[in-house]
Amino acid sequence: MHPILSRPSWLALYLASWIPVAALFGIALHVLAQVPLAEAFADAAGLTAVLAFVCLSAWYPSRAQPIAGAGTMGFLLTHAVAAVISSGVWLALGRAWVALLERDPGWQGAGARYNSLLPGLFLVGMLFYLLAAALHYLALVAAKSRQAEQKALELLVQAREAELKALRAQIDPHFLFNSLNSISALTSSDPASARRMCIELAEFLRRTLVLGQRERIPLAEELDLAEGYLRVEQVRFGSRLRVEREVDEPALASPVPPLLLQPLVENAVRHGIAQTLEGGTIKIAAKRDGSRLHVSVSNPRDPDGRARPGAGVGLRNVAGRLATLFGTEARLDAIAGGDSYLVELDLPAGEVS
Amino acid sequence: MSAPTPLRVLLVDDEELARRVLREYLSRDPGVEIVGECANGFEAVRAVSETKPDLLFLDIQMPKLDGFEVLELLDREVAVVFVTAFDEHAIRAFEVHAVDYLLKPVSEEKIGRALARVRERGVAGPPVSRLVADAKPDQPRPIDRLLVRDGTRVHVIQASELDYAVARDDYVELHSGGKDFLKHQTLNDLEAQLDPERFVRTHRSYLVNVERIAKIEPYAKDSRIAVLHDGTQIPLSRSGYARIREHS
Repeated sequence: MHPILSRPSWLALYLASWIPVAALFGIALHVLAQVPLAEAFADAAGLTAVLAFVCLSAWYPSRAQPIAGAGTMGFLLTHAVAAVISSGVWLALGRAWVALLERDPGWQGAGARYNSLLPGLFLVGMLFYLLAAALHYLALVAAKSRQAEQKALELLVQAREAELKALRAQIDPHFLFNSLNSISALTSSDPASARRMCIELAEFLRRTLVLGQRERIPLAEELDLAEGYLRVEQVRFGSRLRVEREVDEPALASPVPPLLLQPLVENAVRHGIAQTLEGGTIKIAAKRDGSRLHVSVSNPRDPDGRARPGAGVGLRNVAGRLATLFGTEARLDAIAGGDSYLVELDLPAGEVS
Repeated sequence: MSAPTPLRVLLVDDEELARRVLREYLSRDPGVEIVGECANGFEAVRAVSETKPDLLFLDIQMPKLDGFEVLELLDREVAVVFVTAFDEHAIRAFEVHAVDYLLKPVSEEKIGRALARVRERGVAGPPVSRLVADAKPDQPRPIDRLLVRDGTRVHVIQASELDYAVARDDYVELHSGGKDFLKHQTLNDLEAQLDPERFVRTHRSYLVNVERIAKIEPYAKDSRIAVLHDGTQIPLSRSGYARIREHS
């Protein structure tokens, strides 16, 4: 279906743009062909209305005969034949319209006058067809380049997302070494705990690998991953690490990009719990508010702490992913208080699948 | 293999399990006596003074004070074996003459090797604190905080909170928010550590935070003083005055 015909508002606009053409046509008939004024406008109205639709038909041969790759002869022949046919159809329909007008006694002789104009009108019809074909080619080329642009943009977004996801899927080696050291310590003093920690660690690693493959996961799964991670760190930090969770029911089902929260939770441990003598509480909160999802992670912080090298990388990656996936629809705020640190995400909640 | 006097060892790590595994390995060696365990750098600085260990098993990443900062604050010689999950500090560790640098998870053989090295080498050597002060190639400069030892206590002063410093023989007197602290360091050394955009040597014996200077007044003939916001008067030498002018 023609793109203009398929949209009523476009069609209305298109037909409206023919009104001045109809007026000019009427004036031309009156001035150049000495057709009486009223008859000239009546002829022009019918002929232009038909012409408007005949011109739309140029879309089909234009699409069937792409400008690139076609033989010149075939191309010219196609459009020459199409021009003749279109013009012929137009004039035949125009004759019918004039015959209709002639039924009125006041319009006597209109048919004869119309017939005398046929050669000129035939040329006009061909010219309009060719003009319409040219415009259709222009539109097709524009649409194609827009499509190509869109596609290139999508590819870029996909590539960046893949890159960031890959970056995310890299597990912090220090986390692994420290966890293995804890397991090593537990093997002789508390073998059951050592085994439990091995299993927790394996579970976390496996989930990180699997979740990273998916486009979107329910927030509940992301939270499970974070909690698995925190259970492993709990063994290391003991009573220094406390975890609080405040998540409302509708938020749990909201789809989120995988491993979005994980870097924030890891930062909360690395820059928060590990840097304070007494440790503290990592609080993870999430709530759905209409079409928006708010997620926050807060942790204690040493106000006298050093600026640590590498700080900010995780945060930048999360912000980068949000920008890639949601543009200006999502935001990340990091708020450093005296002895606490808070990161807030605000993103589209998405459709619950 | 029974040594006449056992090696006195102090364990420093903020993770209980990390200390536990060291304790387990070391307790099997009859030549080792564990004199204490510390969960942070402050405790470690105090414990080294009080228990006088021969050897420190020292973690690097700890809250408040890291392993290198602990060494900087020690007042006596002690052999050091670093135990850490991070391999990126190895070069700096040997620059402060660490006996060994062990990576977590750590094996009993590696601990045995480190002990053998300590026994072979003895604990003699230049004071570690001096070495740390000399060798800080990968410490970011300017530093953003200063550590001062006061008996067994440690003060942490943010560089931005330092008003001015005065040279006192082998020490510097640090003035911050109306309080003063004495630190074993030369003024030249301190100046090299601090941000030159912020701290200016106004005099042979004075280093001043330029943000604290309220005004400059003529003093005696041909000389001037700087007056800080809290009214403190700081002498300005001729070249010191030139440096201040250059700065503003």
